[in-house]
Amino acid sequence: MCFKNLPIEFDAEGNATLKEGVSNPYSYNVVDLGKNEDKLKDLLGKNGFLKNVDYDPVTRIAGALAFHSVVDLKEKKVISSNSMATLFRGYEIILKGRSPLDAAYISSRACGVCGGVHSTVSALAIEMALDIKPPPLAIVMRNILLAVEYLYDHPLHLFLLSGPDYSEQLVSETNPEIVERAKTTPANNSAAHGYKLMIDIMRDLNPLTGKLYIEALEMTRVAREAYVLIGGKYPHPQSVVPGGLSVTVNITVLNEVYQRLIKFFDYGQKVVGLWDDVFDFFLECNPDYAKVGARPATMIETGVWDHPDYYDASYKNCDTWGNARWSTPGVLIDGELVTTSLKQINVGLEEFVEHSYYEKWDGHRFKEDLEGRPLSPNHPWNKETIAKPGKQSWRDRYTWDTCPTWDRNSVEAGAYARLYITAKANKVVSRRFVNPTGHSMILNVPKHNMPAATLEWHIPKVWNAFERNRARAFCIPYSALVALDNWYMAMDYLRQGETRMSTPFTIPTKGTHIGVGFWGAGRGFLTHHLIIDDGAISNYQILTPSTLNASPHTPWGTPGPYEEAVLNTPILENVELDNPDKKFKGIDILRAIRSFDPCMPCTTHIQVADSDYMVTREVTTCACGLE
Amino acid sequence: MKQVIIGTVGYHNLCNHSIGSVLRPELQKIDWAPGVEIDELNWGPIAIVQKFQARTAPYQRVILLAALERPGRAVGDISVFRWGGSLPDEELIQRCVGDAVTGVTSVENLLIIGEYFKIWPSETILVDVEPGPEQAGEHFTPEMQAAIPDLIRTLQYLTAADNGQLLTYEPLYGDTLIQEA
Repeated sequence: MCFKNLPIEFDAEGNATLKEGVSNPYSYNVVDLGKNEDKLKDLLGKNGFLKNVDYDPVTRIAGALAFHSVVDLKEKKVISSNSMATLFRGYEIILKGRSPLDAAYISSRACGVCGGVHSTVSALAIEMALDIKPPPLAIVMRNILLAVEYLYDHPLHLFLLSGPDYSEQLVSETNPEIVERAKTTPANNSAAHGYKLMIDIMRDLNPLTGKLYIEALEMTRVAREAYVLIGGKYPHPQSVVPGGLSVTVNITVLNEVYQRLIKFFDYGQKVVGLWDDVFDFFLECNPDYAKVGARPATMIETGVWDHPDYYDASYKNCDTWGNARWSTPGVLIDGELVTTSLKQINVGLEEFVEHSYYEKWDGHRFKEDLEGRPLSPNHPWNKETIAKPGKQSWRDRYTWDTCPTWDRNSVEAGAYARLYITAKANKVVSRRFVNPTGHSMILNVPKHNMPAATLEWHIPKVWNAFERNRARAFCIPYSALVALDNWYMAMDYLRQGETRMSTPFTIPTKGTHIGVGFWGAGRGFLTHHLIIDDGAISNYQILTPSTLNASPHTPWGTPGPYEEAVLNTPILENVELDNPDKKFKGIDILRAIRSFDPCMPCTTHIQVADSDYMVTREVTTCACGLE
Repeated sequence: MKQVIIGTVGYHNLCNHSIGSVLRPELQKIDWAPGVEIDELNWGPIAIVQKFQARTAPYQRVILLAALERPGRAVGDISVFRWGGSLPDEELIQRCVGDAVTGVTSVENLLIIGEYFKIWPSETILVDVEPGPEQAGEHFTPEMQAAIPDLIRTLQYLTAADNGQLLTYEPLYGDTLIQEA
């Protein structure tokens, strides 16, 4: 029984039904956030140590996120937090009424980083809706394409966006005692990265000038080059289509990809060693860093990288093909794996708008999924996007993000969830390089310039900002090794003469067809829920990782993942209350937020009704987070 | 032979704002002087920095073509600026890099990041056209359409001119972003 909150029960055969005797099974209480706000306002008036700390925008993330918190500088704790997606994404509205053939190209533009993932999820949704199974070579090339996209994404976050928070330059402003200690502390993993002292690593993490910063920029180039060999261009691939990829792949292409891929074997070892050293060092300096960004290990992941022997695009078999993926779908609730079933993941999804700038929709068109499992009226197949801009109010509506939940839990998403759930589930089929154990993930990295190595990521005892980033570092070799495994499979297919790259199909002009694409972005969980009526898209709903992570409070009052992580964050920065010149940076709060790798940047093209006026200014990115 | 590139910058499908990307195929049909390349420089400032850094023969003149809304101009008005460098503070440069690697395309970002990584030759010129309000579509307004011959003549002049004969231009500095000094 995976559901604790939704009124869904299972019979002996595992068939799900609504519990009997529940008069309004999907009802929920809406808590008045105003009472807390009134208390807070009162406290702010009385307590001079309380300070509003606002970041608008939060920098070094992708896109438009603002964050409001109230911090008690004397007690060094956060007492209130609100996460705000400050832009409207309009892709769901843009896609309505269009041909499904447009979806992959248009939805790709939702993100300036992970366009390939959106294209692919869109293609998967159409494949499910129209029963299209791509040929095996196309499936493995799609896997390589998206693994390579992560190889662009993870270094970017670790060294360009999040990394500076651990650099000599920034830490010397907030915690100079750590910089001093770093000058005499040896780095444990010198063999992997070549640095003798922690201060050397911290210097090279300095933004713009640090060697690690510059190297990460260079590695994004390597990944991009491999990506365009398959996708045609980056970030919005031209070759991703329902039924496969519209490119020809031969030995030359594969060799060109391989030449780029192997660079990530050494780089993966180096990055893992580096971040292990950085986080272990900070925790040695102050064990309270384990509380920065802490929240229960409650996460969700769709899984990625389909096995060609299993993937048939169908909803009927999605639990089977989902569990054959190199990354296993699943939901963790406080560290416990409650399901690895894509169907259960789908059924447990709901989206709420009580604290968002949207109107609640009427109707409950799909009361069941394709096999009779009950669906909430708040499920993405039932949801409609009805924008309702309004005044920002902490007691009412304050974000363009919605509040997605799974079984009424605020769940977080990330590359780390991919690693965590796969390690815990221990279900991966192809284990040539990647071996989950139930408590860890073993990665067998082949030799390149560095000797071959076995890396092992262990499921951490606590979940916090450092562990998110540590796991993300492991996701570099993880992604590279999955790509390599698929590369060998692609070579085998070519040798066998299996060169087909797509499956032809037609869009039926009559009838209703529904599908959902499940595939993680660089930042984790991503779904596109699609309904086709008489040949055109009648509803399209995108749930991105930052939609989950940047979520506002649930209607029943629990904070979203960013909000909760910041609330649990102690202020470890040196605060000088009597020194007005020493500006409070809030670096611990920012470390907590950035550890999620926020990605809000969906380039927002809003077409004003009955006109051709387009709004594109102040527009950002990664579909992640905005509606 | 001088190595010159005319690089177009800007999003597609935004009417006059897409002047660079829409005009590029037309520019490529023109018989330019030897050493002149026409290319899209729209695919991310970091990637463009890396492309420039990888060249064995550096460009001696870079001409960026974009549409930018500026106060006091009519649609189709053409301005020519010569890049003068002067970077903004490091925090803003970091933000520019962050924006660039997460998908934001803008000529401002390109100029600043290119300056930071020292890819621009001394003859870096921005030709920008007043587009008016953003609209959807691949078409131009009549005013913009009428400006195209002048725009092409300007580009032809700039590709052919000696340094001392460059068109009258205004200086443009990174520390004021896109505002004229």
